[in-house]
Amino acid sequence: MLMGMLAAGGLEAVVDGIREADDDNPKGYHELEQVKDLDKGGDTSWLDDARGKCLKVISFLLQHLPSTHHYKIVFVRRNLQEVLASQRKMLERRGESGGDASDEEMATMFAAHLTKMERQLAARPNCEVLYVDHRATLHTPREVATQVNRFLDHRLDVEKMTAVVDQQLYRNRAR
Amino acid sequence: MFGSKVKIDKALLEKATRYSGIAGYSTVEEFINHALEKEISKLEGADSEEEIKKRLKGLGYIS
Repeated sequence: MLMGMLAAGGLEAVVDGIREADDDNPKGYHELEQVKDLDKGGDTSWLDDARGKCLKVISFLLQHLPSTHHYKIVFVRRNLQEVLASQRKMLERRGESGGDASDEEMATMFAAHLTKMERQLAARPNCEVLYVDHRATLHTPREVATQVNRFLDHRLDVEKMTAVVDQQLYRNRAR
Repeated sequence: MFGSKVKIDKALLEKATRYSGIAGYSTVEEFINHALEKEISKLEGADSEEEIKKRLKGLGYIS
């Protein structure tokens, strides 16, 4: 949802559209395939083209962003039980097991991983981070959009960002 | 403290005893316990990283 807000607000999103919208993400995935290889340590020159734009990077891969660039990271925090429930549905639809760990074990691992990520990001001089809460984005989109806009040097249209969430909530209620 | 016995190389034990004092541990046992805990937690961390990777691969978020 945040990628949609950023794009609506006027920030160009670096996406390739390879993974198309589906039942799990009806609004699309907003992904770039090269991002998925960040942990392989290969060529990251494609990041040059992302300067001044927005790019979706899952938390696990943030540690692999090279030190050659400066990053403004809007980190979306979401209730882990909600994340795991959503992942479970996605894995079932994809026909994947996603490993041997139970959701309870995964919750512990993800919690530890997120703590580690936050510590690492705080220690990296080339990373500025704004933490936003997923639920707060749904309930108070204007406030979150305003925060994000301030963080990104007032380059965005807060009204349009807010409208993305309002429209989504309206559609969800209509279902 | 009661515990299981583990054989350790004599030269390594001497080294551990010497460095446990330098590092400020009150006993060599305390030093060895700490060193093992540290190593094990690294391996446990590697385990969880692998599990997270499997999950993220399954979801299509990493290659």
